[in-house]
Amino acid sequence: MSGHFFWSGMPVAFLPGETIAAALLRAGIADLGRPDGHLPGGRVFCGIGACQGCVVAVEDAAPVESCLTPAQEGLRLGPLPATGAGHD
Amino acid sequence: MTEAPILIVGGGPAGASAAATLAEAGLPVLLVEQRDQLGGAIHRQPANGAGNHVWRPARHRRNWAALTARLRACAGMIEIRTQTVFLGVDGEGRFLFDDRRAGRVFASRPRAAIVAVGAVETIRPFPGWELPGVMTAGGAQVLLKETGRPPEGPILIAGSGPLLPALAAQLARAGNPPVAVLERGRPWRRPATLARLALAGGPMGEAAAYAAALALARVPYRGGAVVTRAEPDGAGLTVGMRIGADERVLRVRHLLIHDGIEPNRVGIPLPAPEAAVPVLLAGDGREALGADAALLDGRRAALQLLARLGAGAAELAGLESRLERARRVQAALAQALRSEPVEPAPETLICRCEGRSYADLQALDGDASAREIRLMGRFGLGACQGRFCGPMIAALRGRPVPAASPPRWPLRPVSVAALARLSTDETE
Ligand SMILES: Cc1cc2nc3c(=O)[nH]c(=O)nc-3n(C[C@H](O)[C@H](O)[C@H](O)COP(=O)(O)OP(=O)(O)OC[C@H]3O[C@@H](n4cnc5c(N)ncnc54)[C@H](O)[C@@H]3O)c2cc1C
Ligand code: FES
Repeated sequence: MSGHFFWSGMPVAFLPGETIAAALLRAGIADLGRPDGHLPGGRVFCGIGACQGCVVAVEDAAPVESCLTPAQEGLRLGPLPATGAGHD
Repeated sequence: MTEAPILIVGGGPAGASAAATLAEAGLPVLLVEQRDQLGGAIHRQPANGAGNHVWRPARHRRNWAALTARLRACAGMIEIRTQTVFLGVDGEGRFLFDDRRAGRVFASRPRAAIVAVGAVETIRPFPGWELPGVMTAGGAQVLLKETGRPPEGPILIAGSGPLLPALAAQLARAGNPPVAVLERGRPWRRPATLARLALAGGPMGEAAAYAAALALARVPYRGGAVVTRAEPDGAGLTVGMRIGADERVLRVRHLLIHDGIEPNRVGIPLPAPEAAVPVLLAGDGREALGADAALLDGRRAALQLLARLGAGAAELAGLESRLERARRVQAALAQALRSEPVEPAPETLICRCEGRSYADLQALDGDASAREIRLMGRFGLGACQGRFCGPMIAALRGRPVPAASPPRWPLRPVSVAALARLSTDETE
């Protein structure tokens, strides 16, 4: 049995127990968006919660590291908004 | 209330080994892990729906099975909280945690703490390392273990260390061998060191198995080879490299980089084994010696704590000598793969979080203090708190950048709403 979450409104399939990062990468989504004109965009890098490059925005909840967080049915995710939200 | 538990942060081999040892001695343990399962960097468990298990030495599998059986046998003494991130110690000495499942922060006053948060990988920066499609080799390995599937498309592995051929062999076994492995060092130019390593047994047997798998899959392993730049190219990357005196360019989909590991110390309380609430570090987070040593080191920290709390610790000397052996193997490996530092191009990003380049670093005074590097250079202030640029700056300047002391918390971003719900009487 697999489920779906949404990345910028687009459905992404995941297998039970899989992290958000694993599902995004399998769907070919490596670029997690650019929060600001001059800063590099989000991407999965260290895989263990250290680099914070993979942090994604979660609708109605706090941003999370996609490499640590199990995917859940119906989650609505997207790139971090500009001005470094979630870092404070 | 009952006796305050001993807090253990991190459910990898070191933390799990410490937890089992303390619980077996009759002490209650609170084991906190940020992931949804125990296992740490090496024993990342496959997701339920994942395909094949990733090939790895049987010794590691047996060690982990034995350890989880010990944890189960004393389950009554161990409270395991997964999806819970340790945030640091506040000014009042409370240990703070973000319970991600419940979406709230809670505080705890343990009797003592063992922090076993593992290592982070180090990398040597080049223009383009910050791009999507570039990942650490260890991170890719963790994902491979989780999904059982290799990434699709051409993969290049570069950097230095025994993880490179190990990962290459695992990818080959999983069905997508990398196009090449580029090792910065030139191990065969140091035959005496290699001979010493061969005598060390275990790790070299492993290396031979990986080498055979690479030969079988016809994956070239090149010494004295480095990536010089990466540029976006459609859905992939164009990677420039130097192999000996040759310059080459390759198109790949994934570039996996790694130049060793370092203890993850950012924001972690300083060790204080004699304090009223003793704090000990264990495993790769104390000293990066690898998985076998992490098991021993977790046990050592637990025995030290038991001694401090008045129980015996006869076994400690034996553990020390086995750790010393692991230290010698690591030192010989580092020597076999040693290579001269190369100065990155000025535009190379050093701090990815704040977009700061090598040119920005050079603009600072040669003997700028850690504080000046932070405040004037704006290095190490971003979301990762310097976990990656700290070691890079240290390597480029030839000396360590002293950490902020006392450690700042939270050591990871935490939702303001979750924090707001924390009240003093919530101390558990
Ligand atoms: C990405 C990566 C991959 C690796 N792969 C291998 C491998 O395949 N083979 C090998 O021999 N060695 C590997 N290593 C080396 C590895 O670190 C050791 O072999 C071994 O896992 C160390 O055990 P440990 O218990 O000290 O740390 P770890 O196994 O890293 O365990 C630390 C645990 O602490 C948790 N943690 C970290 N921070 C927090 C926090 N703030 N709050 C709560 N929990 C936290 C982590 O999620 C993790 O489960 C790898 C290292 C890295 C960084
Ligand atoms: S990839 Fe580094 S924190 Fe997730």
